[in-house]
Amino acid sequence: MLELDSLEKTFPGSHGRQATRALDGVSFTVEEGAFFTLLGPSGCGKTTTLQCIAGLEVPDSGTIRMGETTVFSDRDRIMVPANKRRLGMVFQSYAIWPHMTVFENVAFPLQRGSQRTSGANVRKEVAAALEMVELGHLADRPAPMLSGGQQQRVALARALVHHPRILLLDEPLSNLDARLRDSMRTEIRNLVKSVGITTIFVTHDQVEAVGMSDQIVLMRDGAIVQQGAPRDIYLRPNSVFTADFMGRSNLVPGRLLAAGPEARIETPFGTLLGNSAPGLTPGDPAVAVIRPQAVEILAKGQPPTDNSFSARVVSLNFLGNVVETEVEAGGQSLLLMLSPYVQHGVGDELLLYVPAERCMIVPPEAPARTTVAP
Amino acid sequence: MTAIDLQPAGRPTSRVNQQNVTLVALLVIVGVLVLGPVFILIRTSFAPAGTMPLETWQFSLEHYRELLTSPTTWKLVRNTLVYALCSMGIGVAIATGIAWCTERTDMPGRFVVRVLMFSWMAVPALVVGFGWILLINPGNGALNVLYRELLGVRGILFPLYSFWALTIITAFAVVPTAYVMISGLLRNMDPQLEQAARVHGGGGWTVIRRVTLPLIVPGLFSIGIYMFMAVVQTFDLPLIIGLTARFPVLSTRVFLLSSPDNGLPNYGFAAAFGVLLLVIASGLMWAYLRATSAGERFRVVTGKAFRPRRIKLGTWMPVALGFVALYCLVMALPLLMLLWVSLNTAFVMPSLEAVSGLTLEVYSRVIANPVTMRAATNTIVLVVSSATAVMVVSTLVGWFTTRSDSRIGKALDALSFAPMAIPPIVLVLAIVLIYLRTPVYGTIWVIVIAHSTIFLAFGVRTMSSALIQLHTELQDAALVSGASWLTSLRTITLPLVWPQFVNGWLWVFAHSARDLTAPLMLLSTTNVVAASALWNMWQFPDLPGTAALSIMLMLALLVIVVPFQIYTARRLEAH
Repeated sequence: MLELDSLEKTFPGSHGRQATRALDGVSFTVEEGAFFTLLGPSGCGKTTTLQCIAGLEVPDSGTIRMGETTVFSDRDRIMVPANKRRLGMVFQSYAIWPHMTVFENVAFPLQRGSQRTSGANVRKEVAAALEMVELGHLADRPAPMLSGGQQQRVALARALVHHPRILLLDEPLSNLDARLRDSMRTEIRNLVKSVGITTIFVTHDQVEAVGMSDQIVLMRDGAIVQQGAPRDIYLRPNSVFTADFMGRSNLVPGRLLAAGPEARIETPFGTLLGNSAPGLTPGDPAVAVIRPQAVEILAKGQPPTDNSFSARVVSLNFLGNVVETEVEAGGQSLLLMLSPYVQHGVGDELLLYVPAERCMIVPPEAPARTTVAP
Repeated sequence: MTAIDLQPAGRPTSRVNQQNVTLVALLVIVGVLVLGPVFILIRTSFAPAGTMPLETWQFSLEHYRELLTSPTTWKLVRNTLVYALCSMGIGVAIATGIAWCTERTDMPGRFVVRVLMFSWMAVPALVVGFGWILLINPGNGALNVLYRELLGVRGILFPLYSFWALTIITAFAVVPTAYVMISGLLRNMDPQLEQAARVHGGGGWTVIRRVTLPLIVPGLFSIGIYMFMAVVQTFDLPLIIGLTARFPVLSTRVFLLSSPDNGLPNYGFAAAFGVLLLVIASGLMWAYLRATSAGERFRVVTGKAFRPRRIKLGTWMPVALGFVALYCLVMALPLLMLLWVSLNTAFVMPSLEAVSGLTLEVYSRVIANPVTMRAATNTIVLVVSSATAVMVVSTLVGWFTTRSDSRIGKALDALSFAPMAIPPIVLVLAIVLIYLRTPVYGTIWVIVIAHSTIFLAFGVRTMSSALIQLHTELQDAALVSGASWLTSLRTITLPLVWPQFVNGWLWVFAHSARDLTAPLMLLSTTNVVAASALWNMWQFPDLPGTAALSIMLMLALLVIVVPFQIYTARRLEAH
């Protein structure tokens, strides 16, 4: 449905700042009807990518195709402007026009857009769109008199009223308070799934991304770091960056002994079996990624197995749903999330076990690159 | 994020679209309006003596040689700078006092003062000048006559035709503009900074002295430079008071060289003086831009609703009220005098006995005069066309300069800001030189061109600061919804900046009506407007007629400007 091929974009430096490479060869394909998320820290290029898809930003090179149509190609000198791309978009600020009523806001794409419809049809379509977001009773309200959550719903109705090919969502939840955000998360996903529209969602919040998406693209410094289903990305990070960004992880430095699906790494507390990311060869320095929830405690007296090691409790922090526990093994400190129903004390010796499939072995962090010479 | 493609060549986009066509058109319009005059002015200043502009290919330095060797040049420069410095100093001091009273104290009548100050900007300085001449001229100035009769002495109360009279009258005239800028400065100061000082033990006056003043000094300094620049460029008051006082400044010198009472205009020498004035004004402009950071030029005026704590005046209340009232009285005196003179067919001293002789005869005579009717029609054409042209171009220029980081956007910004540094008298001289041999010369449209250029910088600043506060996503949302660029501009952007558009329109409207420089230098038999008609009647001399026309012009301006100012002041008060 949507295909991006090696998009490049460099913002020229100004006011003494260096030029920034915002997009560095971004390519991905989005299936029809998928909920597709661009995830990453601020400045990673996710918003620039979305703006390029929307036609609000022009890439330096690359190709963007929507279905059968090419909407951007530097080689074929094609640039379909934003208003001809038949898209719907919800902006971070919602961009609800304050000088119009709710009805006028939602009717705009039908009345001023590239494919205008008749008056009666406009009323019908707007009513249907407002009904969809449960705001039918507010049609005549002036836009400034809406709450944040209502503005968001109006923005959604406006983005969907003209039956666009693709729905673009630019951090739509970041301006809502925490409770509303949780409920809107499921509501938005259910809404776009029931409409069946292909959706591109931009966020910097990994919880939103994991909870809403079919596919996630994790970006950094204008390039894609990893792409996959939420579960894949969370459980099988291919880099220190992914591991760190997707949630808390223990990063244990070591040296790779064997690569592949049955890899081995030498760590300060012994040799661990695990999965190694592609590109690593034996002898390389590497990092073992162990999620705090991945570690199991073996009963006292049980014989040590592969991937088991002993550790001493350094500190405990009771948080209610989990006990955040810091342990030390072979001079390496590890963070564990333990059950609140099992009690441990500082100084206790524990026998820990990491199943091999829960241990990902990735290359050590490369220094971050943010700018390029002009 | 920029929504437009303004990148250098080699772009894969279709280059012919609404934005690019508009941008090219704007560059051409602004370039012709701004660069054309500067180029012609410099060319003329290098032409040999006795040749007409654009008729020779020869270059000569003789005008500059004459300029640099003549002792009067340095006297003119010194006069101009001393005059500007003194007027600015007195004006800014008075304005700061009034602004502080209305913005930071609990003085009653703040609302009225604010409306008065804003409306005063619409009163032509020319009219005020006439009023002062009627009040304190050495012969039959009303105040002087009163002084002689009351005290039984000879002599005069205050010498009108002197440096100090000119300076003080100019200072009074710059107060409203300075007030508007300074009150904005005081209003936008974060009150938390003062509250912090109070919480940590600072007393009322200590806080003013140690926190408030240091905070506003940089802003005051840049406003001072701005007002200084404005006085250096001013023309009408030095013309009607300064010339008789034998106090010539650069602007009146340029005028006399290009429109002499007898003999041929010496355009080349006038242009050389114009270049000198341009250099001085550009230097001040540079200083002003250095003093105000780029961010301040587009300072966010609204947004956070600051509600500064007002200082209780207590026993100082009568002092503050008296100070503000005295200023308002001084400003009203010349206008009252004009009103009195306009109600008598011949000049009569104001007195209770003379009230019975008041008549509206002069008004009916002035209205019946065909010249007045022509002036009225021309004035309406002039102010409406200039205001509309300036604001439409400004909105578009503002859009491109705030929505793009590209070189073209920056060039457009700099170009439209440049008229700020070109003194009106110099610009009008250049326009004379350009259009002298074209059919446009002598029509009202050549004045429209002059005013559109002179007021462009103000319009662009107004619209840039309005547009920069407008979230880009509002227009992006319209584009993604399928609206074309022009549709999104018309249905979304323009309605959202409409208040600033109207405000700017009214400002240009009022300033175009009160300006004498362009109408006088470009005067022909057909393009007389209110300001030049006033000047003609005054020179004739027809004092009651001048007074009546002044009063009518002022009333017409106030009827249009005051309601909007009341509306704006209400909104400010409500915030």
